[in-house]
Amino acid sequence: MIDFDTLKFPEDVAWIVLLLPLLAVFVTTVFTRRDAKLSGMISIVAVCLSFLVSVGLFVLIGATEAKSAASSALDWISISGTDGVSIELCLLLDPLSLLMLLVVTGVGAAIHIYSYGYMHDDPGMSRYFACLSLFTFSMLGIVLANNFVMMFIFWELVGVSSYLLIGFWHEKASAADAAKKAFITNRLGDFGFILGILLIWSATQGDLSFDALHARLATHPGALGPLACVAGLLIFCGAVGKSAQFPLHVWLPDAMEGPTPVSALIHAATMVAAGVYMLCRVFFLFTVPAAWPVSLSFMQGFTALDVIAWIGGVTALLAALIAVQQNDIKRILAYSTLSQLGYMVMAVGLSTAKAGPTPAMFHLVTHAFFKALLFLGAGSVILALHHEQDIWKMGGLKKKMPVTYWTFLIGTLALCGVPPLSGFYSKDSILALAASRNVALFIVGLLTAVLTAFYMFRLYFVALVGRERSEAASHAHESPRVMTMPLVLLALGSVTAGFVGVEGVLNKVLVSSAELHALPWHKAILAPFSHAPMAALAGLGAVILGFSIAFGLYHNAATDPLPEKLGFVARAMRNRFYFDEIYQFLIRCAHEVASHAADWFDRWIIAGICVRGASSGTDLFGRALRLVQTGNLQTYAFLFVVGVALVLWFVLQ
Amino acid sequence: MSILTTIFLIPLFAALLIALIPRNYRFVIRCVALLATLVAAALAVKMFFNFQAGQPGYQFEQIVPWVQSLGINWHVGVDGVNVGLILMGAIVAFAATCLSKEIQSREKEFYFLLLVMAGGILGAFASLDLFFFYFLHELALVPTFIMIGVWGYGERKNFATFQITLYLSLGALIALVGLIALYLAVPRPNQVPAGATFAGPPPGAVPITNAPPIIGGIYSLSVTQGQTYIWTKGTNDHALANGSLALLDSRPFVAATNFVLILGKTNAPVTALVQPPRTFDIPTITAAVRKTPLPLASQKFIFPLLLFGFGILVSLWPFHTWAPLGYGSAPTATAMLHAGVLKKFGLYGLIRIAIPLLPEGAKPWLHVLAWLCLGNILYCGWVAMRQRDLNLLIGNSSVAHMGFAFLGIASLSLIGITGTVLVMIAHGFLAALTFGLSGYLRQQLGTLEIGEMGGLLKKLPFIGTLLVMAMFAGCGLPGFANFPGELLVMFGAWKGLSNFVMVLAWGALIVGAIYALRAVRNILHGPLPERWAGVADAAGWWRKLPFALLLVCLLGFGVYPQMLVTKVEPGVAKVLKGEEIKPLPTGKRLPWLPVPMKKN
Repeated sequence: MIDFDTLKFPEDVAWIVLLLPLLAVFVTTVFTRRDAKLSGMISIVAVCLSFLVSVGLFVLIGATEAKSAASSALDWISISGTDGVSIELCLLLDPLSLLMLLVVTGVGAAIHIYSYGYMHDDPGMSRYFACLSLFTFSMLGIVLANNFVMMFIFWELVGVSSYLLIGFWHEKASAADAAKKAFITNRLGDFGFILGILLIWSATQGDLSFDALHARLATHPGALGPLACVAGLLIFCGAVGKSAQFPLHVWLPDAMEGPTPVSALIHAATMVAAGVYMLCRVFFLFTVPAAWPVSLSFMQGFTALDVIAWIGGVTALLAALIAVQQNDIKRILAYSTLSQLGYMVMAVGLSTAKAGPTPAMFHLVTHAFFKALLFLGAGSVILALHHEQDIWKMGGLKKKMPVTYWTFLIGTLALCGVPPLSGFYSKDSILALAASRNVALFIVGLLTAVLTAFYMFRLYFVALVGRERSEAASHAHESPRVMTMPLVLLALGSVTAGFVGVEGVLNKVLVSSAELHALPWHKAILAPFSHAPMAALAGLGAVILGFSIAFGLYHNAATDPLPEKLGFVARAMRNRFYFDEIYQFLIRCAHEVASHAADWFDRWIIAGICVRGASSGTDLFGRALRLVQTGNLQTYAFLFVVGVALVLWFVLQ
Repeated sequence: MSILTTIFLIPLFAALLIALIPRNYRFVIRCVALLATLVAAALAVKMFFNFQAGQPGYQFEQIVPWVQSLGINWHVGVDGVNVGLILMGAIVAFAATCLSKEIQSREKEFYFLLLVMAGGILGAFASLDLFFFYFLHELALVPTFIMIGVWGYGERKNFATFQITLYLSLGALIALVGLIALYLAVPRPNQVPAGATFAGPPPGAVPITNAPPIIGGIYSLSVTQGQTYIWTKGTNDHALANGSLALLDSRPFVAATNFVLILGKTNAPVTALVQPPRTFDIPTITAAVRKTPLPLASQKFIFPLLLFGFGILVSLWPFHTWAPLGYGSAPTATAMLHAGVLKKFGLYGLIRIAIPLLPEGAKPWLHVLAWLCLGNILYCGWVAMRQRDLNLLIGNSSVAHMGFAFLGIASLSLIGITGTVLVMIAHGFLAALTFGLSGYLRQQLGTLEIGEMGGLLKKLPFIGTLLVMAMFAGCGLPGFANFPGELLVMFGAWKGLSNFVMVLAWGALIVGAIYALRAVRNILHGPLPERWAGVADAAGWWRKLPFALLLVCLLGFGVYPQMLVTKVEPGVAKVLKGEEIKPLPTGKRLPWLPVPMKKN
């Protein structure tokens, strides 16, 4: 199966990165299930080693001239011949995947360590770490996959590890329901994803690997025929599910039922960003000439990217609006995540073939740092307040939890986009892109930026500063060092990720014309103001506007003044614009009715009328024939004569 | 003796042995049954790994003549299509025997029937002779009815027994009519069309002296395999005693078990021909039909008989209502063996017999079949969503899975049918695992009403975790063996069948996720009702072993499906395209007595 002589260095080292977490899953479930601490340590060591190897790979492969490298391949399913199909497991290593590898293992390592403190007293700690390692393995699989089917396999696996972790406290009905909802909603998106894969496979005569497909589409841009846009949008469906875009966004806020580090790792930094990563990975699919089948000819004039951009924009704005009226600290952050993911998807949709989706990936990287930081900070607060999540019962934490407070503030500023923190640069690159491509979406982006600053500072003023609003808040104390260390590390990342050259790495692979080159960091700090001053200043203005409104409304506020001022609008925001209720109703209408009907048909028509009918018909026939058996000789003789007469009639006719 | 015959005979001999053990020696009886199925499973594993992928023909082949005048032989052999099925069947049989501890009355009879069932089904899959193929399936089927009737559960047990018996007998009967029609429709092997002209002995023909006289009736002529005898001298009447035989090697005829005895004159039209008897031998029939396909009319007549006959056995929609209720009432081991292994017989029959022998007859039915599959996949998924009893839910979901298997057949493509074989194997392990788990739950709780359960994962970490995994496997999660099968079916069916059907079929995976996760939510998650505070998890490795074994198989083939695909794919290619006819090693064919038929 494996021939060690043909292994390649350093490409095949990537298998170690991928398989270490899987090994941890195996060891922790089979051998060390009873020893929670040992399980935790094994899991942490595995992800840290993965991180170190990833750094090594980044240096080794990043140093070479080659744009991308691939590891040795293993046939997963191979049916030869023209009517066959070949699916292999092979790792793709290019700057895009290597950067993502660093983010996943780096942020992942910080969160693993943090979890060790956060889950310390939980009886299911072994199970927790096993699931976390399973997640890391699956996520690395998505990052490293070199073909569609392999990506889909790991895509489903992250879905299942997310299910297991959301439902980690499965005794709680709400957690169990949230897990179920997340998985099924993701399935809806995956349904489109796999159809898109099938469509592309059949249209391109069996190309499944990204490189081969890219090459084919580069030489035959019309290879997908009239289904080009449909295929692109079906693939995008996968991202809509996993990255929780409108209209499948409903699962992500509920997913906050899971432990907070899980929310940070899976539902903020990595898994939900997988959709954006996937869109960047297959961006070449969207740049082929737009074509629609006849049945969709009303879409003529639009491209798949337009649809993507608008879905992203709508998600960004919608989620930001909902976040304004949430009171659960994790839900605010969850809607903020949704909103930022919408930003990234919008950025993918606005990107051009020439410049590539660099801004989206850039924002993904910075967002991973500061959103993970915010979630971990929130977790630290929640733990200090004995699992209190209502921001109106927090407050006055600056003195009691200094590390948490300062790092949370850094995260907030980074998310809002205050220079020189990382969020500013990535958000600015998106705004600059939007300004140059689509004014309407630029305004959507600005509005979202205002709202982002508003709800984040609302959170800041209510939950962190001011007076203590509850008994628990007044007894809060700082979390142990195992939890604050990751906070500091992530805060460091949140500060610097904007100007250390992430963009340069991305440009290397995503931009087809490599005229852009990375600036030294001291120049990069001020670069946005020189190359697109309008967007940078508008973004800055949005932050200031959002901050001042929040300051005015919430500084030292005892209750939320917005519901009174906005009335129904605020209520709609608080109730998440009633999406869950509407979906519930639609699901009732569709699946429940169908299943009722099918069950009824099964019970009464097939099993009842048809099967019972056949059996009672036979029965009746038997009973009728029994009457003929009278035992009376005359009757038999009569029947005999009738029979002979009938036969004669048939014969002689 | 071939390893296949051994695998088949071990359970049957054990059954005989059990019949001889006094009924109060319960432990001994159980040990014998366990040992027999364990050995059979071990041999099946050995056979699977010794199987050489991509070799032509059949492996581990054995032929023992039985009723020669009818052409019935004990002929076993494996190729890609059945090698995995036998492995799966033997492992499931062992797991089912392990989980039969729940049977507390008439153990002797139960284990006897269980072993007969296991032996029958393993033999049916190994058999390359139509007669044994059918007979051994019936041998396995009859114990099913008895076991449900005697050891079954629930109020509707008697009705379930009644229904499953009638339904499956009907299906088997329709299939039998089809098989007999096929037997009669297949031209006798190597029949030379009347009026064919032979120019003379082929080059290299060697005259034989001392040829036996041929005078009507049964020839006392013994002809060895690999050779064709052509009369080179003589007249067209019966007085041919002085003729001599030319012996020559003739490849085209060798593929068939039998050969021609042509009666003719040099440089003159053939005047008579000696016909061998018909045969039940599947490879012979297949080879003959490949050479000269059956007339379209008979194909069109026979195919629906086989499709619906075998279809009923596999719970093809709308002939599926026997399955959920039957499995719901059956003892655990019976449900495992039937849903897991025996049910696949119908699919196997379609792949082994109907598709290669009746390709033209199949074509008009494929689209009908695709729509019926949708009935299985989507409709039964919806029905499963409504079930309140775990076993009925699993039963319906198992019916739904069969839809994917049928879909692969309907695609009539290499990828699709390979996928079908993978689905058959994966579903065998999966159905056995889920029915085993639900059996455990029934034992612990005394009920399978989903509404009464809840929060059981806390009490049953092992069983609960496995149930979660089984449910995920059922909704097609990568990593479990079902996923590669379903994926291949979809890849295969995408091009051939209407895309609308494909979209709906994939949509069923969402339905699958809904009912599977609902079941997990309602059975395992949430708060634990007080009445279940006393339930106990499977403790000790021997209780966990059968479950773990099935799970390992599911995961193994799921993580690395190529292990199966390399073996399955050449077999399927042979089914679809036929293969180069090659003479088998000598000594395996029958000595035989040709019977003279019509002479002009």
